[in-house]
Amino acid sequence: MKRPKRLIIFIFLIIISLAVARVTIENSISTTGVELIGYEEKIEEYKKSNAQLEERYLEKSSLTKISVSAREKGFIESKNQVYLSTPLPLAIKSTQAE
Amino acid sequence: MSWRYKFSLFAFFVLFFLVTARLFYWQVVRASELQSIAQSQYGRNILLPAERGEIKTSDDYSVVANKLSYLVFANPKEVEDKSELSDALAPILKTESSTISAQLKLDRFWVPIKNHIDHKAKEKIESLKFKGVGFEKQSSRFYPEASMSAKLFGFVGKDDNGSDKGYFGLEGFYDRQLRGKSTHAVVIHDAAGRPILSKLEGKTGQSDGRSLTLNINRSIQFMLDETLKDGVERYGATGGMAAIMDPKTGAMIAMSSFPTFDPKEYQEYSDKLYRDPLISDTYEPGSTFKPLVMAAGLDAGLIKPDTKCPICSGPVEIGGYEIRTWNNKYVTQGTMTDVIKRSDNTGMVYIGQSLGLDRMMSYINKFGFGEQTGIDLQGEVVPSIRPRDSWYPIDLATSSFGQGITVTPIQLLTAFSAIANNGNRMEPHVVSKITTVDGESIEIKPKLLGKPVSERTAHVVTEMMVNAVDNGESKFAKPKGYRIAGKTGTAQIPVEGHYDANKTIASFIGFAPADDPKFLMLVVIDRPTTSIYGAETAAPIFFTAAKNMFTYYGIPPSE
Repeated sequence: MKRPKRLIIFIFLIIISLAVARVTIENSISTTGVELIGYEEKIEEYKKSNAQLEERYLEKSSLTKISVSAREKGFIESKNQVYLSTPLPLAIKSTQAE
Repeated sequence: MSWRYKFSLFAFFVLFFLVTARLFYWQVVRASELQSIAQSQYGRNILLPAERGEIKTSDDYSVVANKLSYLVFANPKEVEDKSELSDALAPILKTESSTISAQLKLDRFWVPIKNHIDHKAKEKIESLKFKGVGFEKQSSRFYPEASMSAKLFGFVGKDDNGSDKGYFGLEGFYDRQLRGKSTHAVVIHDAAGRPILSKLEGKTGQSDGRSLTLNINRSIQFMLDETLKDGVERYGATGGMAAIMDPKTGAMIAMSSFPTFDPKEYQEYSDKLYRDPLISDTYEPGSTFKPLVMAAGLDAGLIKPDTKCPICSGPVEIGGYEIRTWNNKYVTQGTMTDVIKRSDNTGMVYIGQSLGLDRMMSYINKFGFGEQTGIDLQGEVVPSIRPRDSWYPIDLATSSFGQGITVTPIQLLTAFSAIANNGNRMEPHVVSKITTVDGESIEIKPKLLGKPVSERTAHVVTEMMVNAVDNGESKFAKPKGYRIAGKTGTAQIPVEGHYDANKTIASFIGFAPADDPKFLMLVVIDRPTTSIYGAETAAPIFFTAAKNMFTYYGIPPSE
């Protein structure tokens, strides 16, 4: 029986290329741990800063705080409102007049 | 077969069995233990806590948010000078030095010092550079509006396992939605402890809590809190409560009660303050109940607005009791409209007697008394309506003017939504929307509970209530130019089998603008001392709040 030389060579090359690929990938992954720690720390820092900013935003826009601050600055509540009534359109006015 | 051969075969069988048994022992019996030992060598088990969902008012402002906080812990075996550390930490953590010192004296590798410290305190401690002190990230509830609506929101405490759990109000009712699902995950690391790019095993299953968006309007809530607090102080009352509802949808716009508590420091307050009286307290509604009985009489076709009261010329005697008007003044030939205007008890007795017990009970049930309103808050109570066979003629008479029958404020408000909303009684709802972590929204739609009276009856009662406001005892406080439908109430408090004449629950219920109501509001003042009457205490608070509501909604005067 004739040996399938081409097939054997093809399989051999695949095995070699997969082995090289694995070594290359593992080599690159093995050094990403340090990078990963850096990214995780950055994410953590951003999350923390985001949470602190949100906290500050909520504190500053609280009605309880704003009203105290307004009172301290001398603002007083308006007791009288003036409503300006809009005149009716002319067409409706004349209909009502009839 | 020779014995040697047999012996060898047997020996091999025994050895094979022993090896199998040993393998079974390690791989099955002690599998989980070995797995965790292995895991500790190549990975680190970390807790992925679920962040509790936020509670937002209708303007999307987080009134109950989460704050980043830290747990301070120490390893007593690493701490060099325990008393120096205790003295240094005490002022920063605002705790006793002896408390910290007691923890540090324990023969352990890890002791907690204080929970939920903020980042400023953490930075201060870090700058001291003490050996053996560490921090663990935590999340704690943050209330930017301080104690606003504390009873409505409830608070977060701990359950039997030490996990966060919501109690009372919204935190209690929606606890399962808000709490989310925590889980553990394994981070794979190399020999030096650096993480290897790898997926977090077991991360699936973790999800943060859902957020709630409320119907509560923050500006109106703030205004109502201020107005009520001011009113309670001005009238020397022991407490007070007020709620505002959109009668067309049942959406709760504001809910306020005093005295209240600080949800952040809830442990420092009496547990009696945790209950929201609007849903958990019962009281006799007094005259605020009259428009409902009037509506029943009109709806049943027994009376008309101009029907003359035949028994209103003097006190009415029933079963040995004498029923009088609140001011002991009587009119002959007064109409039903006058009965509401003058808050005439004798006129209400006439309507009660005309209705009879069966019809009276039927309308009481139709208005939702004796059952839960279905409000989405933890702690709603249902005062029971006495069974039919234990009603006496005097009970029918007194309940027609709101004495001898107990209700919760939310029940009364829900019943009045039928008068303000063309006869349709709506389910009260605090939450308008639940939002998942993926941003998906679950809308909570308005729900019709029933139609106790016809649209026509609702309009007639509305006009009677407008007349009561314009010409009744509280007209001095009414904002000019607005059509407001309302009714005062002054109910005596039953104490040890009798009513105390000087202790009352003063209330006012009403809605405006009467022709197209934007809001329905109830104000209840507990034991006012400057005056015992609702017209002189609860009504001015109602009208002050109503004026602010008109300004807020931009509603101009109509008259």
